[in-house]
Amino acid sequence: MNKVCFHFQISQPYRLRTYRFFDINQDHHYFDDYQNQYLTKRLAERCYLPTNKMLLEIIKSNPDQFRCSFSISGSSIMLFKNYCPEVIESFKELIATGCVEITGSTYTHSIASLHGESAFMEQVRLQEELLMETFGVKPISFCNTEIIYSDEIGEWLGNAGYRVILTEGARHILGWKSPTYLYCNPYQTDVKLLLRSYQLCDDITLRFADQGWDQYPLTAEKYMRFLNSIHTESETPFINLFWDYETIGEHYTADTGIFDFFKSLVTALINHENYTFITPKEVLDMDISASTMHAPWPISCSGEEKDTNEWLGNELQQEAFNQLFKLEPLYKKSDNMEAKLSWLRLQAADHFNFMSSKWFGHRFVKRNFEVYSSPYQAFINYMNVLNDVKLQLEAK
Amino acid sequence: MFGWEFPPHISGGLGTACYGLTKGLALNGVKVTFVMPKASGDEDTSYVKIINGSDVEVDPRTSDYFLHSEQTSYIQVNSKLVPYVGLDDYYNVINQLESGVFPVSGEKRRYVFSGKYGPNLMQEVNQYANIAAEIARNEDFDLIHAHDWLTYRAGIAAKRATGKPLVVHMHATEFDRSGETNYNDIVYGMEKEGMMAADAVCAVSDLTRNIVINKYGIPAEKVFTLHNAVEPNEKKVERQKFVSEKIVTFLGRVTFQKGPDYFVETAKRVLEKDSNVRFVLAGDGDMMPHIIERVAELGISDRFHFTGFLRGDDINKMFGMSDVYVMPSISEPFGISPLEAMRAHVPVVISKQSGVSEVLTHAIKVDFWDIDATADAIYGLLHYPALSKLFAEEGAAEVDNLKWEYVAKKLIKIYEKTIHYE
Repeated sequence: MNKVCFHFQISQPYRLRTYRFFDINQDHHYFDDYQNQYLTKRLAERCYLPTNKMLLEIIKSNPDQFRCSFSISGSSIMLFKNYCPEVIESFKELIATGCVEITGSTYTHSIASLHGESAFMEQVRLQEELLMETFGVKPISFCNTEIIYSDEIGEWLGNAGYRVILTEGARHILGWKSPTYLYCNPYQTDVKLLLRSYQLCDDITLRFADQGWDQYPLTAEKYMRFLNSIHTESETPFINLFWDYETIGEHYTADTGIFDFFKSLVTALINHENYTFITPKEVLDMDISASTMHAPWPISCSGEEKDTNEWLGNELQQEAFNQLFKLEPLYKKSDNMEAKLSWLRLQAADHFNFMSSKWFGHRFVKRNFEVYSSPYQAFINYMNVLNDVKLQLEAK
Repeated sequence: MFGWEFPPHISGGLGTACYGLTKGLALNGVKVTFVMPKASGDEDTSYVKIINGSDVEVDPRTSDYFLHSEQTSYIQVNSKLVPYVGLDDYYNVINQLESGVFPVSGEKRRYVFSGKYGPNLMQEVNQYANIAAEIARNEDFDLIHAHDWLTYRAGIAAKRATGKPLVVHMHATEFDRSGETNYNDIVYGMEKEGMMAADAVCAVSDLTRNIVINKYGIPAEKVFTLHNAVEPNEKKVERQKFVSEKIVTFLGRVTFQKGPDYFVETAKRVLEKDSNVRFVLAGDGDMMPHIIERVAELGISDRFHFTGFLRGDDINKMFGMSDVYVMPSISEPFGISPLEAMRAHVPVVISKQSGVSEVLTHAIKVDFWDIDATADAIYGLLHYPALSKLFAEEGAAEVDNLKWEYVAKKLIKIYEKTIHYE
C-alpha cells in the first residue's frame, strides 16, 4: 500500500514598510500595514478560504479517507487574526474533522535554525504556545522554515519532544537511496524523517501552467501515471508531497484549473486501491523500520542545490544575519515586547530572500511580490529597521 | 565619422564616447577617419585618422546647394540633355542632379572653426557641412557616421555628395538638454532632418530610442539602441583621502538636466542625521549661482564643497577620495560618469531616468525627485560596510564587462544593415 502524505505550508511574513535612516530612533513602526492587510485578504479570497472549503467538502463526502497536514507560521496566524479571522475559523472546522493535522513550525518563518539552538527553540516554543491558544493543539511533527534540516536541528527538535520531521529528499544527501522510505535521525533514532519527493511536487508548483513542458497540460490522470510509475522496492512506499498552500489559487489562479485538478487528483487517489492518505504523526503508529539519514550540513527545498544559499549566499545576507543574531542577548534581557516581536519577525526567510543576488537577472518563480527594485535596496531598508530595533532593545 | 569634439579637449561625454567607439571599431578591424571642426594635434591617433576641418580647402563651386538655399535661388531645368559628353560624364551629371550638388564658380577657400559651442554655432554647423562634402569626395570610405545634431548637416552633405549610407548617432536629444517645453526649434529641426535623412539611427539607450520614435516621429525599424561603454583605467585609481569624513560626490555639468539641486537637498537630509559626511559638487554650469545660494540658505556650507570643472587626473583623484557617487539626473540619455566611478571602485546611486540604469545591475537606482530615497541609499552605503564592499567589487567587475569593443561589434551589425540596402 502506497502512503501519500499531503502537507501544505503557509508562511506569510510581516512585510516591511520603506523605512528611511532618518526614521531611526524616531519612528518604531516598521511594517507595511496596508500591504500586509491587502495581501492577506487577497490570499484569503483566492486561496485559503476556497481551498479550505474544497478540502472540507472532500473530507465530508469521503468520511475518513482523505488526510492532510498544515504548517502555519505564527506570523500568518497573527495576520489572519488581524485582517481575516474567518480563515482561522475555517481551519478550526478542518481540524475538527480529525483528518487534518497541524504540525509545529517556527513562529515567524524564521531561519534561526541556521544560527543556533537557543534562538531556534525560542521560535519553536512561541509557535507551540500560539497553536495551543488558537487551535488547542500540541504538535508532535515538525516542518521547519523552507523545510531546512540537519542532524543537529533534528536533535534539538528531538529533545523538545518532536518525533516526526518533514524535510527535503535532497539528492546529494540521499545518493542512491530513495525518498520513498522512512528515515530517522542518526543520533536520535526515534525521530523519524519524511522526505519530500520534490520532482513530483515541482511538476505541479513549477510546471502546472508551463506550456513549454512536454507533459502540458497536467491532468489528474497523467499525475496518477507519474505516481504509479515510481520505482521503489519498498513494500510500503511513502509519497511525500509538500507544497506552499498558495500554489492553489494564488500562484495558479482558479482559471488555470488548479482547483479542479486537485479535486480530481484527491478523488482518484481515494478511489485507487493502492493508495492511502496519511498525516505525518500517523507514521508513529506504524511498525515500519527506518534507516538513518545523515545531513551534516543544512538542506532545504531551495533551487536545484537544496542548500541555504538563497538566504545566506551573499555578503549582504551574511552581514544582515550576523547583525541580527548579535542582538539575541539584548532580546533575552529586554522587556520591550514590541521590539522583541519585531526582532523575531526580522528573522523571516523572506527578508533574506529579497537580498539574494542568486536571482540577479532571473525572475524567481516563487517571489510573487516584488517589493524592492534590487537586493541592495532590500538590504538598506532591512538594516535601517534592524538598527532601530537594536536601539529599542538596548533602551529597556 | 563626423564629430564635434575628441579627447583630450572635451566639454562633456560626447568626445569620450566618440573616442571609445572609434577605438572599439579599430579593434574590430574597421578603419575610421574622424572629422572634427578644430583639431589641436594632441589627439590620440593610434586608432583613428583625424581630419582637422580648419585645414580643409573647399571649392565653393561644388558646395552643396541646400546649404546656400537661403542666400541663392536656382531656376532648375530638369533636363538630362547635355552636349558633348561621354558615358562617364553623363552619369556624373545624373548623379549630381540626384544628389543636388551643383558646380558653382568661385575661389577655393578655407573656413575657420572655433570647434566650441559659441555664438556662431549655427554658422559653423553649416560651414562644417560644406567641408564635409569636400572631404567626402576626396576620401575613400563605405559609410558615414555623424555624432549629434551639430554634425548631422555634415553627414547629409557627405551622403548627397557620395550616395553612401548615413548613420546618425543620438547621444542626447534636445528634450534632454532643455526640457519638455523650452526646447529650441532649430535644433529640434536639425535633429529631425538628420534622422529622417539617415539610413539608421543609433540611440544611446532605450530611453532615448523611445524619445526618437515618439517625439521625432522616426520609423522604429531604423532606430537601434546602442548603449555606451567605458574604457578600462590605464592605471589603478589610488584610494587616497585627506579628510576623516566620508565623501559623497556629484560630478557633471551644473545644469538643469543633471539635477544638482536635488543633490543639495539630499545633502541636507543626510547631514541632519549624520554630520560626519562631506558633499562635493564637481563641475560648473548655469545653475551654479542658484546652487551656491541654496547651500548657504540651508546652512550646510561647512560640509558642502565646490571644486569647479574637473578633467583628466583630477577626476580620478576625486573618485579616489569618494565613498559614494551620486547622479541625480532628471533626464540623462546615457550618462557615462557612473561607469567611471564604478571602475574606480566607488559605489553609485543613479536616477532611474538615466539610460545607464538600463545596463547596470550593481547600482542603486532611485527616482531623481525622491530625495528621501536618495538620502537613504547614501546613508546605507556609508553605514553598512558589507554593502559598499560588495558594491565596489561587483560594480567594478560589471563595468569591466562593458567594453567599447563589444559596443563596436553591435554597431558593425547596424552598419551591415545599411550597407546591405545599397
